[in-house]
Amino acid sequence: MKKSALKKLVAVLASAGLMLLALAPTPASANQTIRLYIGADTNVKDLWEKALLPEFYKAYPDYKVEITYDRNGQNDAQTLAKVVASKATRKDPGMDVIDGGMTVQLGGAGLLWRGTPGLLPNLRNVPQVLIKNGKGGIPYRASLVLLAYNSKNVKTPPKTLAEVLAWAKANPGKFTYNAPSGGGSGFAFVQTVLDTNLTKKEVDTLVTLPNKTLQAKWEKGFETLRELNKVTYGQNGTYPVNNAATLDLLSKGLVDMGPVWSDQIASALKAGTMPKDIKTTTISNPSFTGGPAFLGIPNNSPNRNAARVLVNWVLSPAAQNIIVTGVMNGLPVIPVELLDASAAASIGAVDITTLRPGYLNSNATDLRSAWASKVPGK
Amino acid sequence: MSLPPVLVLLGFIGVPIVLAFAFSLGHTSGPNEIISLIGQEIYEKDSWWGTLDAYRAVFQDSRFGPDLRTTLAVTFIATFLVVVMALGMGIYQRIVGGKLAMVMISLSLVPLFVPVVIAAFAIRTFYDGNGFLKSLLYHFGIDFPTITMTTNAITIGTIWTSLPFAILMVSSGLQSIPDALIETAQDAGASFLRIVRTIMIPLAFVPIVIAITFTAIGIMGSFTVPYFLGANQPTMLGVEIALFFGPYNRPQLSVVMAFVIFIAASLVAVLYVWANVRSAKQSGRI
Repeated sequence: MKKSALKKLVAVLASAGLMLLALAPTPASANQTIRLYIGADTNVKDLWEKALLPEFYKAYPDYKVEITYDRNGQNDAQTLAKVVASKATRKDPGMDVIDGGMTVQLGGAGLLWRGTPGLLPNLRNVPQVLIKNGKGGIPYRASLVLLAYNSKNVKTPPKTLAEVLAWAKANPGKFTYNAPSGGGSGFAFVQTVLDTNLTKKEVDTLVTLPNKTLQAKWEKGFETLRELNKVTYGQNGTYPVNNAATLDLLSKGLVDMGPVWSDQIASALKAGTMPKDIKTTTISNPSFTGGPAFLGIPNNSPNRNAARVLVNWVLSPAAQNIIVTGVMNGLPVIPVELLDASAAASIGAVDITTLRPGYLNSNATDLRSAWASKVPGK
Repeated sequence: MSLPPVLVLLGFIGVPIVLAFAFSLGHTSGPNEIISLIGQEIYEKDSWWGTLDAYRAVFQDSRFGPDLRTTLAVTFIATFLVVVMALGMGIYQRIVGGKLAMVMISLSLVPLFVPVVIAAFAIRTFYDGNGFLKSLLYHFGIDFPTITMTTNAITIGTIWTSLPFAILMVSSGLQSIPDALIETAQDAGASFLRIVRTIMIPLAFVPIVIAITFTAIGIMGSFTVPYFLGANQPTMLGVEIALFFGPYNRPQLSVVMAFVIFIAASLVAVLYVWANVRSAKQSGRI
């Protein structure tokens, strides 16, 4: 009698253990320090440090996350080199999870572990098309560039790109966008202007492949941007250096309109550093760019199991709620129905699978360089 | 005794410089292999010693000429003004002296203890579109132009950050001139300007040259002040190098620009060496 009870207990425990193993990829032998590399603006760092990780530690008290932070991903090229070199020399890349623009390039080079729902159960809720575009990068949040305007001075905000350009010309000194080298919001504006002279197929090519010949078609767009030199803030062909500088000009009332990141403006409005008069809108024909941000787990990370625990948790409804409501004010990558009602209400109806993506990194660096030599001060 | 520091210099400074120079000449293998794989617009060598294609590309870039001119102009103007102001303060303290001079010298050293990034941000806020200066003058009906995002703002900013060191150097040089020399000249009826020209400046020559060279080299390689206060284009080479290295992903071209700055700074350093040799000769050391 006793023996059979014991057998039962063992069986129950074993099956429970198996179930746990299947649910959460946490082998006990795994190293439990996860090295997270962030190459993004400060709000992404805050998202991890102040919002996500405290909750992660509550769910997984045995794990520890060490952050390496690179502001605005300025050293992406070198970090990329480090990961490529570590693969070639069969060494430890020095990071287990990467959050930053370079995940797309690493994925394209086949250096990221391709997530599967088997090992990353929460991936099931993420749209297939986003996972496919990531090429190994795991989409975990999304953001898009919006047009911010001062509702005190702009009664009818522009609805299309042409209207934005017309407004800028009609209101000298009251519109600006930041230099593409300093941040994605200005970059999105520049890319959007350039894209008006390209066919959809040509834009798709620049999003997915390095292509120098197509870049010649940017010339007309740069001409449009040069015309703005006389009417943007300062009226002398100078532009704010980064995303934050655009927000700064908006908050001080020095400009009335400019492209901004959806998450940054939402955070600033919530924190009260941005006056309530500043409102945002989306434009069309073409729309500003946006899209998912990807996490990457390097193929040769010695600690992939622990990395999977973190990434899987980030894709859980609990963590996605934090991304939507916390310091980030980002967009979720899982269906809105899985979120808390309050979080779901705050984001409205944005379909993140239809956002217009930005250029591939190598075309983007060419754009930044070309803009600098062709637009400011000309 | 001197071996460890020499080894450290060779290992951590000498070797990277040699590698960077080889990279700028198109030697893309060995330790430069990875950066060459990642970077864009890389020019590879076509002969045993390398190629000058990367240098050619930089000199033909429409940004480089204006950038170099801006860098040299800011360096020249700011250094000149800094040294003139430092001499003014130093001579005032030496000839007039007293409590006021002490207070002024102490106050002028305050920027030495303010981090450059804070200073640059403060200067930007002060001169900005709705900054203090513009708001104040607006009340008197004057529409003062916004000077942030211009080369003038860079010049003001670099003077602000470089002045304390120059004052420290020049005033201590002037302090070491014996009273007897100045008093004798005064007794003999020499005018103030003559005392400054024939006694004070020659006797404080080496500290003045040190102040000039250190100020000029510091300004030439500055990044924070032009990044915060300057226009997007043209900008100073310090900022342009960072842009080429990071956002444009053109490491080889940024290395080439760094070597151009290096040559310009070396020319300034020649002045420093010349002054030291001259003073050593005068005192009979060589």
